[in-house]
Amino acid sequence: MGRFLIRRFISMLITIILVITFTFVLMHAIPGGPFTAEKKLPVAVEEALNERYHLNDPYWKQYIDYVLDVARFDLGPSFQYEGQTVNKLIGDGFPTSAKLGILSVLLTLCIGIPFGIISALKQNKWPDYTVMFLATLGVTIPNFVIATTLIYVFAVKLSVFPTFGIKNWQSFILPVLALSGYSLSFISRLTRSSMLEVLGQDYIRTVRAKGIPEYKVIFKHALRNAILPVVTYVGPLIAAILTGSFVVERIFALPGMGRHFVQSITNRDYTTIMGITIFYSAFLIIMILLVDLVYGIVDPRIKLDK
Amino acid sequence: MSNSKVNMDSIPEDMWEKIDNKEKESDLISRPSLTYFQDAWRRLRRNIMSMIGLVIIIILILTAIFGPFFSKYNFSDQSLKMASLPPRLELFKIDNENYIYLANGLKIYSSTSNGEIINLLNPIKQDFQKKIKVYKLNGKEIVLDFSDKPFKLLNENGNEYPFYKKVWNKNHLLGTDDLGRDLLIRIIYGARISLLIAFVATLVNFFIGVLYGGISGYAGGRVDNIMMRIVDIISTVPLMLYVILLMVVLKPGLKPIIIALGSVFWVRMARIVRGQILSLKEQEFVMAARTIGATNLRILVRHLLPNAMGPIIVSMTMMIPTAIFTEAFLSFIGLGVPAPLASWGTLCNNALGGYRSYPYQLFLPSLAICITMLAFNFLGDGLRDALDPKLRK
Repeated sequence: MGRFLIRRFISMLITIILVITFTFVLMHAIPGGPFTAEKKLPVAVEEALNERYHLNDPYWKQYIDYVLDVARFDLGPSFQYEGQTVNKLIGDGFPTSAKLGILSVLLTLCIGIPFGIISALKQNKWPDYTVMFLATLGVTIPNFVIATTLIYVFAVKLSVFPTFGIKNWQSFILPVLALSGYSLSFISRLTRSSMLEVLGQDYIRTVRAKGIPEYKVIFKHALRNAILPVVTYVGPLIAAILTGSFVVERIFALPGMGRHFVQSITNRDYTTIMGITIFYSAFLIIMILLVDLVYGIVDPRIKLDK
Repeated sequence: MSNSKVNMDSIPEDMWEKIDNKEKESDLISRPSLTYFQDAWRRLRRNIMSMIGLVIIIILILTAIFGPFFSKYNFSDQSLKMASLPPRLELFKIDNENYIYLANGLKIYSSTSNGEIINLLNPIKQDFQKKIKVYKLNGKEIVLDFSDKPFKLLNENGNEYPFYKKVWNKNHLLGTDDLGRDLLIRIIYGARISLLIAFVATLVNFFIGVLYGGISGYAGGRVDNIMMRIVDIISTVPLMLYVILLMVVLKPGLKPIIIALGSVFWVRMARIVRGQILSLKEQEFVMAARTIGATNLRILVRHLLPNAMGPIIVSMTMMIPTAIFTEAFLSFIGLGVPAPLASWGTLCNNALGGYRSYPYQLFLPSLAICITMLAFNFLGDGLRDALDPKLRK
């Protein structure tokens, strides 16, 4: 376990450094500096700005400075908002996004897995058809369409939920639904197919022949194995919810990180784009590592040291 | 021997009878020989959902290519007078020849009884204190009273004009957008852009993935190890973010989207191809090719890749909806094709501001996206079953 952890940790660090490098190179490949605006600044002002943000240093020095700053968890100042640092933007937005994300992951797992189990147990009966119909729709409808449809039906026409912003717990319902729609459908489909595969295996027949009660057959014997593919999907699930939050937060006007990110793209606020990309990437890479560890615990056949 | 020959000759001609083919071939136990793709096609044809998907895709492609030739509008023709007209019009009757349509934003259009909009009427008098606007059509006065909802259309004596009926918009079948551009033609043009981006990006992914995976799998050993470590690293990174970054750097446009999508999503394809090549390269036909002196490139391109085509095609079919979705997503956060070009994503994005008043502007392009995604998903599912050699019967 220890050696596995160290190896994974090192490869994680390499990945993050590559991410920083790639992001840095891309952002510096943009023609013109961050202060090249349509309205030309006086040369002296532009020089002063460049000097202040160390843009006159050679690239290698800027790069090393940036990597060292990131290592100290300092993502630098925002180029668009005077006196605003990227850290502060992330700090402001992260709690909202995290709440939204955690709720969505929970909803996905707590509803998606049971739905998958139900439709596998009732294969080719109406519960199966209903769940699979909804799941197919959920996989094919883009999340911004789900989000706007939800607003239109529940907030504008029926006015049961608020349309935007965060006022109370009800304001979370629609965004979370919109955010988890895709993953929820995907997880139900995944659980269903892997459950069907496991239920067809010989050991399940043996367990049933021994006279074990049905609920034990399903939850103790079948689900333990059927859940494994679902665990591997949790990493991509978090990634999907994260990118989904860009549009959902924008549509519902939630003050989260996704909205900051989209705004910084529209404003071409390069340091913020860089900072948030690196933050998101590092976050996801750590999450994937955690999922791998959980996988080792859930599946005793996998030995992490080998 | 000679005896039987004599006998055969002595049988009169008319006693011979042809046996029919059924009897003749009753001993044959082989099935007609089919190539891999004929066999797959035979199985695919039986899958109703995939055939529906395939038909929808063909119709979509044909509409995208030929649709614009049959429309009297161009995708960039603006007409601010005709802005945001919905596909269904509620007409009020003025007299037997004249009907009017009351649009959002207190605009009144004259129309024929079957829903052909003639013109936007200009008020001859406005009184914002009493909240009325007065129009004149064909010598008759129309008073729009907007002091209280629902708005009332009155004649000069203060009687309400009767509601006539709901009709389809004959000028613009699917209505117009906020700049008065015909929505139908914009959706058809959107199909061109979205499908073009999806197909080309998938093709680029295909080439990179097949080349990378092919080389990695065929070379094996250390090269394979290093190449796959790189793929592992790439696959832990959230790729959508890098598409966004690339788009920021490349400036929005048709080519940049294709480059960004094509250069990022090849990882899965590379893994699939590598897996296939690894198992195929140990087989005898590769050794046979090598013994007769085929070069490595020839073995890879002519012998290994054609045999790995099944899974590659399935993953390409699944990649197309992903590309359409990603493009729509990018357009939606403002990194799509620049105006006046429109993809389905940009159409949705443009409609977002006014969707409370004009929901059809958002839902029609969304519907187009959903139908396309569904069609490709159904086809992909069917292809996966059809191209699986284990299922061959």
